[in-house]
Amino acid sequence: MRSVRISLAAAAVAALVLAGCGTTNERASGGASPGASKSCKGTDGKYTIGMSQANVAEPYRQRMDDDIKAAAKDVPQFDVKFADAAQDNAKQVADVENYITQQIDLLIISPNEAKPLTSVVKKAYDKGIPVIVLDRKVEGDAYTGFIGGDNVQIGREAGKYIAEKLLPQGGNVVELKGLAGATPQAERHEGFVEGIKGNPKVKVIAAASGDWLREKGQSQMDALLKANPKIDVVYSHNDPMAEGAYLAAKAVGREKEMKFTGIDALPIPSGGIKAVEQGRLSATFTYPTNGKEAIAAAKKILVDCGTIEKTQTLPTRLIDASNAAKIYAEENPTG
Amino acid sequence: MTDVQDKVVTTDKMSVAATLFRFQSVFGLIAVFVAAIIFSPRKNGAILFVSADNLANVVRAVSEIGIIAVGMTFVILIGGIDLSVGAVLGLAAVGSAVLMVENDWGFLPSVVLVLAIGLVFGALQGVATAMIGIQSFIVTLAGLQIARGLARIWSGGQGVAIAYGDGPKEAPTSFALLGERTFGGLVPIPVIIFAVVAIAAVVFLRVSAFSRHLYAVGGNEKAARLSGVPVVRVKIAVFAICGLLASLAGIVHAVQLNQGSPNDGIGYELDAIAAVVIGGTSLAGGRGSVAGTVAGALLLGVLNNILALNNIDSNIQLLIKGLVIVAAAALQRLRPTS
Repeated sequence: MRSVRISLAAAAVAALVLAGCGTTNERASGGASPGASKSCKGTDGKYTIGMSQANVAEPYRQRMDDDIKAAAKDVPQFDVKFADAAQDNAKQVADVENYITQQIDLLIISPNEAKPLTSVVKKAYDKGIPVIVLDRKVEGDAYTGFIGGDNVQIGREAGKYIAEKLLPQGGNVVELKGLAGATPQAERHEGFVEGIKGNPKVKVIAAASGDWLREKGQSQMDALLKANPKIDVVYSHNDPMAEGAYLAAKAVGREKEMKFTGIDALPIPSGGIKAVEQGRLSATFTYPTNGKEAIAAAKKILVDCGTIEKTQTLPTRLIDASNAAKIYAEENPTG
Repeated sequence: MTDVQDKVVTTDKMSVAATLFRFQSVFGLIAVFVAAIIFSPRKNGAILFVSADNLANVVRAVSEIGIIAVGMTFVILIGGIDLSVGAVLGLAAVGSAVLMVENDWGFLPSVVLVLAIGLVFGALQGVATAMIGIQSFIVTLAGLQIARGLARIWSGGQGVAIAYGDGPKEAPTSFALLGERTFGGLVPIPVIIFAVVAIAAVVFLRVSAFSRHLYAVGGNEKAARLSGVPVVRVKIAVFAICGLLASLAGIVHAVQLNQGSPNDGIGYELDAIAAVVIGGTSLAGGRGSVAGTVAGALLLGVLNNILALNNIDSNIQLLIKGLVIVAAAALQRLRPTS
């Protein structure tokens, strides 16, 4: 039986090698950069679009998929497929490879990380598949267009809002930061520092890292409340941490003493817009999911035979009590 | 089809059934492969699943899990488990990147040191379980945390990008070759590494006395000890091999993604265990084969691929994979005991 085991293993290995040396060869088309003429079949065409998502466990990314789905409904030529890499770079590489095998007409990708996804995105692009990159970039320029938000700008807007609207007379601010080492964390901090420069009486008296998480924001705020008797504003790098901070303040009966601001403003029931509408947060700033814009760009490339900008930066919007309900309704037209 | 190890097989009917069960994963692989051809999307008459590129993608995607699963087979054969392999993969990926990029080490010393780290890490886990007598589940659960922590410290908490070249802060181009494809650009090198590991493991289990010891320890540890099997040494060696292979998979991981990140390989231990279970190796130890594990890993890879090619919803994919594992385990229970 052992010899059988060996021969089976040998057969398995032979199968592996044969699999590699098989029949067809699709590598011929390499090197062509996707021109509009090649992929565009006009309004009569039917197009399969592959959307490779980094991780749908994050509400922001689930919303991105939902926005793409909703926007694609209005383009009858489009059939969008979705894949979830569950935060694993290797899985996302395989997802894109599978889309290439399926010979999709356009790839939309929100990369888990830049470096590991760069070569497979280039592979798709070199095969003539137009590539739209969302939210996080890949390296180099082997993609058709990038659409994303500007975190420095968002931080700056938040800083200005706090310096001018919430604390015109100055006051104490604590900053709840995102995950250390993450680019958006650094950028949202950098922009904020610029934004509050105009009002030197605004002081950042403490900062802590809440790792983007509601429960971590809450526990960090517990400590900040004990250490700081006077806090006027909590600037949080995202909405869930701001909500956590609110809960911590409420637990010690201090939530009325201070104001809370967040970032992201997801138009979902557990998102920041609702928190503003219900009065827990004073303001939040939209971080666009880019889903609608991605489908618009895809339409431009495939249906209209046009070209898109290499980099499209979407502006942020201030959400406060005056517009929260209205914008929530706008973003959720069906419900 | 006679086998000294297959113990008492009384009738022909029994032996046919026994063979079927023994190679359930190979038959399972064939069944899933045929199903994949049937359900494969087609384009211009071509069956996309069997295109050379796609089959190469399938085996490339399973190569890392496959390498880990070979080591895991050894551990499970002695009735143990190793939960640390995903974290050791992450540690090795980080190590490769930091040594070659930040420390400007050469290809060979970096790889040797990273493999040595995996080997020693595994051996220490073996010591803890064999000599101190802590259950391997607990030892390697702790090992998982320790390896993950070491990876975070070594990398400074962030992914270390790998750029290739001769300059400072660049990894040697010889390292990049590990991620390339050969045989006319079709066979990924990671697949060849996996194949070599699998063949070596099969041959090793065939020719060495170690193999008898391994199955003996897994079958009945006390009896093995009483009959003079060096149980402690066998256990330490097995965990060392598993750690070594996990770090090899980490090197392969780093070169394929051009990055070593402390978050690499999260949850890979579960995929490896799934491959071993589907491969027909008993979690109780003493029964199973590397060939079965290889088939199990390929089965999972083909399944992943065909579900993705058909754009099955990612949540449904999880359900289907779970059911396949349960089915494989259920088949094990039906297996005639000899």
